[in-house]
Amino acid sequence: MRNFADRAVAAAIAAGQWLVLPVSFLLFAQWPLRDLVNAYSIQANDLAQWLFALYVSLALTFATRERAHLAADAFAQRYSAATRSRIARFGAFLCVAPWALFILVVSAPAVWQSVRGLENFPETYNPGYFIIKAAMWLLALLALAQAVLGVLRPAPPR
Amino acid sequence: MANAGFYMLASVPVLLIATGLPAFMILILVATLFAAFGVLTGAMPYELLEALPQRIIGLLETDLLQALPLYVLMGALLNRLPLADILFRAFTALFARTAAAPLLAAVGLGAMLAPMNGSVGASVATLSRIVLPRLHAHRVSNTQGLAAVCVASTLGVVVPPSLVLILLGDAMLNAHTIAMNITGHITRAINTQDVFRGALPPAAIFLVLTAFLAWRIGRRASPAGTGVAPGERMKKHEWAIAAATLFFIVGLLAAVVAGYVYAVEAAAAGGMALLAIGLVSRTLTGKVLGQVLRDTMAVTGALFALFIGATTFTLVVRAFGTDQAIAGIIQRIPGGALGPVLAVMLLLWLCAFALDAFEIIFVVIPLVMPPLLTRVDDPVWVAVLALLALQSSFLLPPLGYAVMMARTLSPVRVDLHALVKALLPFLAAQLVVLGLTVAFPVLSHLALSAEPAAFSPKHPLTDREIEQRLQQQLPASPYSDH
Repeated sequence: MRNFADRAVAAAIAAGQWLVLPVSFLLFAQWPLRDLVNAYSIQANDLAQWLFALYVSLALTFATRERAHLAADAFAQRYSAATRSRIARFGAFLCVAPWALFILVVSAPAVWQSVRGLENFPETYNPGYFIIKAAMWLLALLALAQAVLGVLRPAPPR
Repeated sequence: MANAGFYMLASVPVLLIATGLPAFMILILVATLFAAFGVLTGAMPYELLEALPQRIIGLLETDLLQALPLYVLMGALLNRLPLADILFRAFTALFARTAAAPLLAAVGLGAMLAPMNGSVGASVATLSRIVLPRLHAHRVSNTQGLAAVCVASTLGVVVPPSLVLILLGDAMLNAHTIAMNITGHITRAINTQDVFRGALPPAAIFLVLTAFLAWRIGRRASPAGTGVAPGERMKKHEWAIAAATLFFIVGLLAAVVAGYVYAVEAAAAGGMALLAIGLVSRTLTGKVLGQVLRDTMAVTGALFALFIGATTFTLVVRAFGTDQAIAGIIQRIPGGALGPVLAVMLLLWLCAFALDAFEIIFVVIPLVMPPLLTRVDDPVWVAVLALLALQSSFLLPPLGYAVMMARTLSPVRVDLHALVKALLPFLAAQLVVLGLTVAFPVLSHLALSAEPAAFSPKHPLTDREIEQRLQQQLPASPYSDH
């Protein structure tokens, strides 16, 4: 079960790595669309906006899995490997899990309402705004899943 | 209960260092614990915490933050494609007459790439990979080489249009707007372009000083050395690639600084151009693209995690009313305009011992800048001073981000004391630039266009009235109103 969940999280994130390319293309394209074509630049911006939100929602957990987060661990390097592993596993769970759970519970009604109504962007009325709200929920869900997976992973050999 | 926020601020560096856990986790942990305490004791209403998801949505829909993965993508492409390597060899060949050529090339490469990279982390990674082995080949000591990489990597903080400048510009816009509402002294609000242009003259001075120091150190280290090592001779097509890359980078930076292109669009254009160069030159293979995408997502996730941690943290700090207490303290600092400016810069320096520039911009700047700008009528000057303070924060051992990351990436272990010694001249140069900018605020206005007319109220407010308005008008967060 743990391996399945781990693979599911990894697969979802791996697919999301490509999103940065369409985001770059769309944000680049809005420049000629605005100045040369005089149309569709707002649509390109809105589309890039929700792709960006999805990308970021996956990126946070990806950074955790890649151990890319910024940390001041010069002092903690003096601890034994076992102590550091325990701090990393249980510390990450204690830090992230309550927060992520809170976000998931508190935001669920608003996110669900937005998704059910396929909410549009408030200023441009373009479709897809509900994806930004869903991306926030996905971000918290993945963070919680990763925190739990971190605790469940086998301890390193002594 | 305003003291609770101060305890929160104090406990972050302690927990960061004691646990070694990522900064965003510590920010969230401290905020969660204190929020629970606040709600249980009735010091803050639970309903206030329900604003948190909306704040995170605000982060996801902020146009400016879209630039973040784009800059990171550019940095990753520069890191993985051979362009940076070619540029370094071109600079070395250009300065071949002096033995200091490799160190000068490191500074030159940093000045070109750091603003494009956006994040100091990406710059350190690129320069460590490209520059360190070549400096070693030129018999530059590991310590001196690492110091050069650290300094060159931080140039993007002051040379526009880096991500730090963009984010600080946005934070300053929010702070300045609040300050104008409070004082009634209405002028054009500072924008990112002002910060870009304001930072240019001090950045140029620092760049000249850094190049001079690199020249002196390089000459002293290998007086009989040669500028170009065997096997480093540039081929004709490499000169063409170097010239084209240089032209493209300088053109793009100039277009952003001049205001012809938005920073987000410039970053997107840069990313697209680098992808095209990689495809045309056939250096962007499937494997390299995979590495670029991994690097981009990991760094983007790490930076965004900080924003989310800081957003959570500042919500709780403000719920305790600590922002108002800080505003009160700043209002009472004596010394006219200079007193509070120096106090806030000192605070930024102290924060820099444990927090990096992004955390400072998201956690500290929104707390201290609105009250500071009610006392100081020059937001561009204040922003430039903050940038210079932040730049030095990256270089301050042992916790300066550039120093920490460069030491981690270094293939050989470098003694911290030796590194501090090697960094001292550059830190001194930073102090000189900071001192000059404090003493001569006009430095930050040399590249600005004419200032628009300002409107001042007929009856200027007293300090007491300003303090009262600050208590009423301090906002929830720069990204909360979406």
